Amino acid sequence: MSRDRLTPIERFAAYSRGEALDRLPCVPIVGNTAARVLGVKVSEFRGNGRLIADAQIAAYRRFGYDVIRIFTDLYTQAEAMGARVHYPEDETAYLAEPAISAAEQIASLRPADPCKDGNLPHHLEAMERAFQAVGKEVPVTGALTGPFTTATFLIGMENLVRLTLKNPAAVHQLCEGAYQGALLYAGAILDTGCTPSLTDAMCSTTVISPKQFKEFGQPYLKRLVEFIHRRGRSVTLHICGKTAPIWDAMAGTGADCLSIDNAADLQAAKSKVGQRVRLMGNVPPSEVMLQGTVAGVRESVRRCVRKAHDNPKGFIVASGCSLPVETPFSNIDAMLDAVREIGWPVDGDALERELPS
Amino acid sequence: MDENLTRQLSIQAVDPGIDALSTFEHGLVEGMNRAGKLFETEEHFIPELLLCPDGMYAGLEILRPHLKREEKEVRRKVVIGVVEGDTHDIGKKLVKIMLEASGFEIVDVGRDIPPQRFVDEAIKVQASVIALSTLMTTTMDGMADVIQLLQKANLRDRFKVIGGGGPIAQSFADRIGADGYASGAPAAVKLVKNLVGEAAR
Repeated sequence: MSRDRLTPIERFAAYSRGEALDRLPCVPIVGNTAARVLGVKVSEFRGNGRLIADAQIAAYRRFGYDVIRIFTDLYTQAEAMGARVHYPEDETAYLAEPAISAAEQIASLRPADPCKDGNLPHHLEAMERAFQAVGKEVPVTGALTGPFTTATFLIGMENLVRLTLKNPAAVHQLCEGAYQGALLYAGAILDTGCTPSLTDAMCSTTVISPKQFKEFGQPYLKRLVEFIHRRGRSVTLHICGKTAPIWDAMAGTGADCLSIDNAADLQAAKSKVGQRVRLMGNVPPSEVMLQGTVAGVRESVRRCVRKAHDNPKGFIVASGCSLPVETPFSNIDAMLDAVREIGWPVDGDALERELPS
Repeated sequence: MDENLTRQLSIQAVDPGIDALSTFEHGLVEGMNRAGKLFETEEHFIPELLLCPDGMYAGLEILRPHLKREEKEVRRKVVIGVVEGDTHDIGKKLVKIMLEASGFEIVDVGRDIPPQRFVDEAIKVQASVIALSTLMTTTMDGMADVIQLLQKANLRDRFKVIGGGGPIAQSFADRIGADGYASGAPAAVKLVKNLVGEAAR
């Protein structure tokens, strides 16, 4: 990217060595918005790894951000294990029907085969193509949904949260099955050259209690992180919504970077776990990135940087969650431009002075 | 509110010396309210709150034959649903549970509901409030559609319209001309009470 001095991989490497940068790393989490860059419909991504890769590469080149994440929706693994997913013509897919409807059916589920089940092979193809094309200059990651979240898609959200109180053993049985599927998929993602990027949306304390996260979420995440570490890669973990009460436990999974939703506070996260993990976040995807103005994006970026630029393990300016499909390009550009404007080294005192706390 | 325990306690409370309505109001409804407070202070989470009505209905089943006076008061009605194109309904369910516990009569039209359905239903049941929910940015404009339909039909003043869900913020509610926004179920109860006056009945 000519507008920045360093490539994303050079930037991350310099950042980790404590060397001077051109700017902080910046990741607007672009998912299906990539379809808009190529002018294709979101539903065309279904079963078309080449198109997903082309769109993600085009979006990366268009905006110049620091991580490519091959992602269309959270349901890919659940779909490969039998859940039914609805694909609107030009919007993000959503869960139409869980794979099973009662605890008695859990034993009938089988971990998905990444090479042939559902859309997993196409996503792997997208990862491989993107990695081959630009993997030397930018980290290319593959979205990996956490076992607890996949479990909610397999049996239905309401069923699962009821079972957490009424039949915990069944929840573990289901999470174990989802974990086995995730493990196979993680291995296949690593084989493409990409790094798995973990999202466990339903582990949020907006949904379940910290105690339940420690029982049903964290152990399976920890095993996945350990597996990815054994293959020599670092891992980012994203949990949506409120997460403050589980930051310790999230760091306890061994994840190297926590992606913090805009429902949580970066400054508090820095105080709590900044010595142990890198942080990324948390420009609001809907209110600011989709509905806000260029000026609003700039202000939000500066607020995030003010709060977390001095995080001991490092900080990545990011959106709080995946961006909505129709996020205006001008707002994504504004996010990168705001980070370029702040530049390097970050003048924390100046940011402190300009914003009311 | 544990289902079995609530049932047992309700059976014990069936006694000629105890008014069943009082057991209902000071036992079951109070229990629901306390669960709501625990949810608000983040001691209870979605699983606990979702299971609460199981307890309330188990207790109510025991008490119902003994509730001599049927409630004669007309309760304020809230039409609630998830807007068209969205099937996420846990948030809506939580708001419904909490509003019910606060004494409102809830007409749940379900999920993936076209704007006109909300309007038709609100007219039919003579609702005070239309409560709209969505988790997705792609469907949030459906909330504005409901308000526009009400305006076109010259009915905007008859109903308070409120919205909530992941992508919704106060600024969005203001922009579409809604009467209010709530960030979660307990806040929704306060909002509805503010909009219609304290009393649900």
